[in-house]
Amino acid sequence: MKQVWLTDMAVSTSLGDLESTWERLLAGESGIGPVGHFSVDGYVSDRAATIAGLEATGDRSRLDTLLDRLLADLPPLPAKTRLLLATTKGRIDLLERGLRTAGATGNAEVTPLLDDLQRRLGVVGGVNINAACASSTIALARGAGMIAHGAAEAVLVIGVDIVSEFVFSGFSALKGMSPTPCRPFDAERDGLTLGEGGGAVLLMAREAAESGGREPKALLSGWGVASDAHHVTAPARDGCGLVQAVRQALQVAGAEAEAVAGISAHGTGTPFNDAMELTAFRTLFGDRPVPLHGVKGALGHTLGAAGVIEAAMAVRSLASGQLPPTIGLRTPDPLAAGPVSAEPLSLDEGLLLSTNSGFGGINGALLLGKGERC
Amino acid sequence: MLKGELLGIGWLTAAGTGRGRDAAEFALVPGELSELRRQLAFTEPDRRFGRLDRFSRLGVLAMALALQDAGLDRWEQKRRVGLFAATRFGSLGTDSDYFATVLPEQGRLASPNLFAYTLANTFLGEAAIRFGLTGPGVAINEGGNAPLESLVAALEGLVWDGLEASVAGFCDLPPRGSNEPPGAAFLVVGPDRPGKNMKEIKVLPDRSVELAGVPVSGWPELVAAAVRLQRT
Repeated sequence: MKQVWLTDMAVSTSLGDLESTWERLLAGESGIGPVGHFSVDGYVSDRAATIAGLEATGDRSRLDTLLDRLLADLPPLPAKTRLLLATTKGRIDLLERGLRTAGATGNAEVTPLLDDLQRRLGVVGGVNINAACASSTIALARGAGMIAHGAAEAVLVIGVDIVSEFVFSGFSALKGMSPTPCRPFDAERDGLTLGEGGGAVLLMAREAAESGGREPKALLSGWGVASDAHHVTAPARDGCGLVQAVRQALQVAGAEAEAVAGISAHGTGTPFNDAMELTAFRTLFGDRPVPLHGVKGALGHTLGAAGVIEAAMAVRSLASGQLPPTIGLRTPDPLAAGPVSAEPLSLDEGLLLSTNSGFGGINGALLLGKGERC
Repeated sequence: MLKGELLGIGWLTAAGTGRGRDAAEFALVPGELSELRRQLAFTEPDRRFGRLDRFSRLGVLAMALALQDAGLDRWEQKRRVGLFAATRFGSLGTDSDYFATVLPEQGRLASPNLFAYTLANTFLGEAAIRFGLTGPGVAINEGGNAPLESLVAALEGLVWDGLEASVAGFCDLPPRGSNEPPGAAFLVVGPDRPGKNMKEIKVLPDRSVELAGVPVSGWPELVAAAVRLQRT
């Protein structure tokens, strides 16, 4: 198999661009605040991690403004780059507007968004991967597979989703949303907080990257995807799907569980998700204290974008040797075997595991290694 | 090159319902689907089926027919089988139905049950639960120049990731007023066998697809060709 390099990345979150998001995460800041672009009077929370200045004008969605910011930070792409988009609800605000004003769905299909991106980026063969909150993790896994097996030399993965009343009302109705900013892996966590954001990662085959003069920011060494086959909105309590996904990732990487030095977990802050993850990590790593963190207490749950944003942060973690604090944490869940902290944690040499799970019982796992030529 | 073997076919369109082993013809035509009843594919009672939205019912029924055709509908142990569904409109109809529950009373009456089905991949989770399938479950919006990309992903899963089988196809319920045909059809594809395989599905290096050596360029053409092949 060919070596898969992460050569370029961009991020836009409630804490800013890639550099700003990383620095502010490390400093313990949170992007969660009052929601201002729709009424939250009927819902259990009034908070989300929104991005200032996203506008929806004319027939444009707030998602288009977010994409403008995200793509402005990307370098020119290699020829024949393939596009894997990962959005759960795309331009959902256009559907809201259409249904409010004309009883019609508006231009909310994903295919026009995909076609727009293909034209704009000059890429080939774009598809959108919808696997709920694991969408961009699975897009990264698929892109890595395509490169490793020689089916592509460069794959651009874009994950993007916005905070909309559509989704906000849904998590409120499901009673999955916390009335206060979420507290991943806290013993008293009580639900998620939504966020919006986008991430873009360029994956390249080592040989193609080297001939194009690109440096590896990280290696994507392993990947795995598996379903629980248990329930469509609740995770399997034993974490069977996540365990299977991580074991696949280890197999692809040719690594043992001992090679994992740290975990960037999904960590939504819901009682069931976090318990499932901690149970799965116990199964995988036993009592070994693997440092663990989650970013959603600062960035909110960015749905389809979560995986790629968290992968970008993982790249920075590997480079700096530290995991950002888990914002919102006060008392760690006793199920956590290793350190999880509201302060930054030090990260030893090794692989960083990044995981995400979603509705439909889907789980994705990525193993990232330090960006060194080897 | 990625290769697999066609094991089964199931579909539900405005022209009717069928499996590869049946004598029915496959056609994807505009019109109304019949009522999406559990009995179209399941003989046993299924308490959850009535809670599914129309998009999920359509997809689960077509997948059930395909798995029956392949003889993979019965199970005791969960299987590492992947689900790959192309869709253009996804859950758009359910999205509209759900948001209609949000508009009155400032969201206080929003339906949690409908919300769970406002993702294009939820029905894949429903199918995974019913048939014990633990491989990837992914809905794919195929761009204009990426037809059959869900089949390519299914074969990648078989060949690269060692899935026991893949179920790949399309599922679409166009919005009211659209002239697009509603329907779903799925193929069950198993790993390629050594020797001559008369039901071989192949993805060439340029990502084009051949069934039994004949090029196919889209889902309706592939399913129709697969039905003809299944009867020979």
